[in-house]
Amino acid sequence: MFQGMTFEPGSLPEGTEALRQEVRAFLASELDPDVLPNSDFNAGVSAEFSRKLAEHGWIGMTWPKKYGGGERSFLERYVVTEELIAAGAPVGTHWIADRQSGPLLLKFGSEEQRQLFLPKIVSGELFFSIGMSEPDSGSDLASIRTTATKTDGGWLLNGSKIWTSFAHTNHYMVTLVRTQPPSENRHAGMSQIVVDLKDENVEITGIKNLSGESDFNQVFFDDLFVPDNMLLGEEGNGWEQVMSELGYERSGPERFLSAFRVLVEFTREIEENGTDEQLALLGRLSAHLVTLRRMSISVATMLESGKLPLSEAALIKDVGTTFEQLVPEVVRQAANPNASKRFIDTLNECILHAPSFTLRGGTREILKGVIARGLGLR
Amino acid sequence: MNEQQQLIKDTLSRLLTDLCTPQEVDAAENGEWAGNLWQTLNETGLALAGVPETAGGSGGDLEDSLLVLHEAARFSAPVPLAEHFIAGLLLAEQGAVVGDAPTTIAVGDFEIDDALNLSGSAENVAFARWCGEIVLAARGTAGMKLCRIAVAETDLTPGLSVAGEPRDTISVSRQLDAANVFDAGDDIEHRIRLMGAATRSVMMAGALESTLEMSVQYSQERSQFGRSISKFQAIQHQLAVMAGEVAASTLAADCIKESFASLNEVDIAIGKARTGEAVSVCTDLAHGIHGAMGYTLEHSLNHRTRRLWCWRDEYGAEKEWQLLIGQKFVAGGADNLWATITDQS
Ligand SMILES: Cc1cc2nc3c(=O)[nH]c(=O)nc-3n(C[C@H](O)[C@H](O)[C@H](O)COP(=O)(O)OP(=O)(O)OC[C@H]3O[C@@H](n4cnc5c(N)ncnc54)[C@H](O)[C@@H]3O)c2cc1C
Repeated sequence: MFQGMTFEPGSLPEGTEALRQEVRAFLASELDPDVLPNSDFNAGVSAEFSRKLAEHGWIGMTWPKKYGGGERSFLERYVVTEELIAAGAPVGTHWIADRQSGPLLLKFGSEEQRQLFLPKIVSGELFFSIGMSEPDSGSDLASIRTTATKTDGGWLLNGSKIWTSFAHTNHYMVTLVRTQPPSENRHAGMSQIVVDLKDENVEITGIKNLSGESDFNQVFFDDLFVPDNMLLGEEGNGWEQVMSELGYERSGPERFLSAFRVLVEFTREIEENGTDEQLALLGRLSAHLVTLRRMSISVATMLESGKLPLSEAALIKDVGTTFEQLVPEVVRQAANPNASKRFIDTLNECILHAPSFTLRGGTREILKGVIARGLGLR
Repeated sequence: MNEQQQLIKDTLSRLLTDLCTPQEVDAAENGEWAGNLWQTLNETGLALAGVPETAGGSGGDLEDSLLVLHEAARFSAPVPLAEHFIAGLLLAEQGAVVGDAPTTIAVGDFEIDDALNLSGSAENVAFARWCGEIVLAARGTAGMKLCRIAVAETDLTPGLSVAGEPRDTISVSRQLDAANVFDAGDDIEHRIRLMGAATRSVMMAGALESTLEMSVQYSQERSQFGRSISKFQAIQHQLAVMAGEVAASTLAADCIKESFASLNEVDIAIGKARTGEAVSVCTDLAHGIHGAMGYTLEHSLNHRTRRLWCWRDEYGAEKEWQLLIGQKFVAGGADNLWATITDQS
C-alpha cells in the first residue's frame, strides 16, 4: 500500500471454521441470558468463565505444549478471541495474561518463570495486570518514576502505578520500573519486574470509572521487596520489552468490536420496519466492520509468520477505536423514538465506556505518531 | 501478490512513468486522445491481462486485470481500461472478441426489436468519442440482449466529468447485424453494474494510495516556519488519518479482486461504500496539506482527487451500496449479525 506500511492479504485457514462453531456452541450454553452482553473486553469479569475457557484449551492457545499451551496458530486464536468479544462474553479476567503477559514471559522470561506462571495461566488460575502508567506518566511512559533498587537477594520497589485494570482481583502485575536513574537516553535504565499483587505490602485502592465500576486502581509500593528471580528479562531492557508487547496489544478484534453489541441491538430495532436511512446506516457501519476485520486478520497473519508489524497494529487501533466511538453516536441519531429498553441500556452502557476506547493502550495522538513514523515522517 | 502480478505491477509502473506523465494527463483533458499510451497497453497485452486468449486477451487471472486498473489509477491514465476490460469479458462470454481500438460500456435505456433495430440512449458513456465500439444491454422482445455497435453509428453529444474526462451522451437508432447481437441473461444490467462498481472501487483504492504518497512527499518538500511542514504534529496526524483510510480502501479493494469471478454482490457493495467514504476524508486532507498549490491545475494532485470525486459517484454512490448491505445484513436477523459478518470472508 505504501512503503513502510504493508498489509499482506491474510485469510483464515479452512480448519478454523470448526473451531468457530465449537466456540459458538460453548457460548450459547454458557452465557447468562439475563446479563446484557457487552463487547467491551474490559467490561465483564468472571474467573469462573475464564476457567471454563481454559478447560477447552482456549487460553494460551499458541504457546508451547511444554507449558500447557496448545501450539495452535495465531489465526486460530484470532477466531476464538473475536467470537468471545462479539458475543460480549466476560473475558476481562484472563485477557491480559493471555494476550500479552504470557507472550512476554515466553519471549523474555527465565525458564523458572515460565514454569511457574504459564501452566497456571493456561489452566485459568493465574491472572495478570499491566503496570505501566503512573500518576505523572501516561503517554510519556519513559518518564516513569517508580524505582527498583538493588538489595540483597532482590529489589526494593518504591512508587505507584495507576489505572491498573483489575489489580484488585488479578494475581500478578508486570511492572515497568526504573532500575537506573534517568540519563540522556530516556529509554535506558528501565526494567520489568513481576509483582505479586497478593503481597500484603502492596496497597491497592480502587478508582470508579464513568459507569461507576471500580475496575481500575492505584497500586502503591513502599519499600516492597521483590526477589531476584522476579526480574523479567534483562535489567535495563524494559523499554524494548514493553514496546514488543504493543504489537499484540493493538491489532486484535477488541480494538474495533467494543461497540458491536450496540450494532446488534440497532439491527434488532430495525429488523421489522427499518427505513432506508436506518438500513443504509447498518450497511455503512458493517462495511467498516468487515474491512477492519480484514485488516486485523492481515496483521494476525503477519504475527503468525513471525513479523512484528508495529505501525500497522497502531493503525488498526486508531481506525478501529475511531469506529467504535462512531457507532453509538450515529446509531443514537438514527434510532426510533420508541426504542426498546434493551437498546437504550446497551447504547448508554457503551456511551459511558466509549471515552476509554481511544485512551487505553495508547491515545489516538500517540498512535498517530507511531503511524507517522511508519510513513517516514519522524 | 504472485510472481506474475509482481511482474505486471513493475512493468506497468515503468511504462506509465514514461508514457503517462502529468503532461499527458493534461493533454487528454484538453481533448487529445492518448493514442500512444493505449497502443502500448494493448500491444503489451496489459489492457486485457485477465481476459481469455480466445477472446483476444492475455489469458491471465481476472485479478491481473484488476491489478492493472489499480496501478493505472495511480497515474490517472486517461484511457478506458475498465470499460474495455468489462466489454472484453462480456464479449468473451459470447465467444466474441473485442477489437484493438478501445471499447466502452453504455448504461442507459435501450430496446431492440425482432428485426434487430436498436434504439435508445445513454448518458455518461466513458471516453465514447475516443472508442471504436460500444457494448450495451438492450431489452429484446424475448429477453435481454448484449449488443455491440460502432461509435460512428451513434449520435454522440460530448460531455465531461468533473475530472475533465469524456462522459458522452450517445443515442442510437439503427439496425444491427445478427453477429453483433447476443442473448444475455436477464441479470445482464445488474452484472454490468456490479462490474462497474468493482472496477471503480479498485481504481479509487489506487488513486487514494497515490494521493497519500503525493501528500507525504509534498509535506516533506514544503517548508514553512523554517522547517518542513511534515515536522508539524498536526500535519503528521492528518497524514496518519489518511493512511488509515487508504489501508482500509486497499484491503476492501483486494477483497473485490479476489472474488471478482463470482461477482459477489456484498463484497463489491462493501468495497464501493468503503472506498467512497475514504475519498471524502482523503481528498479533504490531501488538499489541506497541499495548500494553494494543490488547488491549481498545475499540481497533479488534481488528477487524482478530481477522478476520485467522479468515480465515487459512478455505478452507485455510497448510499446505494450501503442500503444493499443493510438489507442483506438485516435479513439474517440481529442475533445472526455476527455470523453474517464472519461469513464475508
Ligand atoms: C479503561 C482504562 C484502562 C486502563 N488500564 C491500564 C492498565 O491496566 N495498566 C496501565 O498501565 N495503564 C492503563 N490505562 C492507562 C492508559 O494507558 C493511559 O490512559 C494512556 O496511556 C494515556 O495516558 P493518560 O491517561 O495519562 O493521558 P495523558 O498522557 O496525560 O494524555 C492526555 C491528552 O494529551 C495528549 N498527549 C499527550 N502527549 C502528547 C503528545 N506528545 N502529543 C500530542 N498529544 C499528546 C493525549 O493524546 C491525550 O489526548 C488504562 C486507561 C483506561 C482509560
